Amino acid sequence: MAKKAKSRTIAVRLVSMALTGYYKTLIRPRTHRPLSMLKYDPVVRKKVLFLEQKRGGRG
Amino acid sequence: MANLHSNPKKLVSLAHTLHPRLLRFFARYPPAAIVPTLTEPAPALPNPFKCQKHLVTGRRHDPVFSLRRQAEIVKLARKQGVEELLPHTVKGTEERMKRRAENGLRVKGTGVGQKVKGKESERTLKGRLEKRRQAMLDMPQMIQTWKERGHGRGWKKWPK
Repeated sequence: MAKKAKSRTIAVRLVSMALTGYYKTLIRPRTHRPLSMLKYDPVVRKKVLFLEQKRGGRG
Repeated sequence: MANLHSNPKKLVSLAHTLHPRLLRFFARYPPAAIVPTLTEPAPALPNPFKCQKHLVTGRRHDPVFSLRRQAEIVKLARKQGVEELLPHTVKGTEERMKRRAENGLRVKGTGVGQKVKGKESERTLKGRLEKRRQAMLDMPQMIQTWKERGHGRGWKKWPK
């Protein structure tokens, strides 16, 4: 049987670089470069850098 | 309390201030500390706060005062400052302090020289906060680097 086609977009997790454990989930095209942005972290109550978490692990 | 031996007048005035329940107790079981001031030496009575072994049968007889009543008498005596006149009891302040030091608050680890284990989150809290603090100190530099590297285009170290 033919394999199911991969979706064009993926959900990724952007973790706060303040090491608070806070993260945001965003959707980006599979072929796009990893996301990174400045966003508000409510734990430290500041705008901090969020970087996309490396995917994989279980797979 | 040390001058009690020498001053019977003080003893009498003290007796007037005591709670009737304490007074009855001391009348029945005169404390060894003030017995010498009496005219005739009374025979030593067994500690009414302890169980007694029957001399013939060897069976143990319950204390005259239950633990509850012992505690009540100790509480009254402590309030009036005459606790040291009472016979030895497990409800006494000294014994209680000893037990407190040994067992703490009955919660494992609160005694002297013991440590509360706590949840893992509690044990690691300090370290995590320190890590976070350090990360926040490095944040402006990190953001600067991130901006210089094309807002993530040249970023190599992605978090796991």
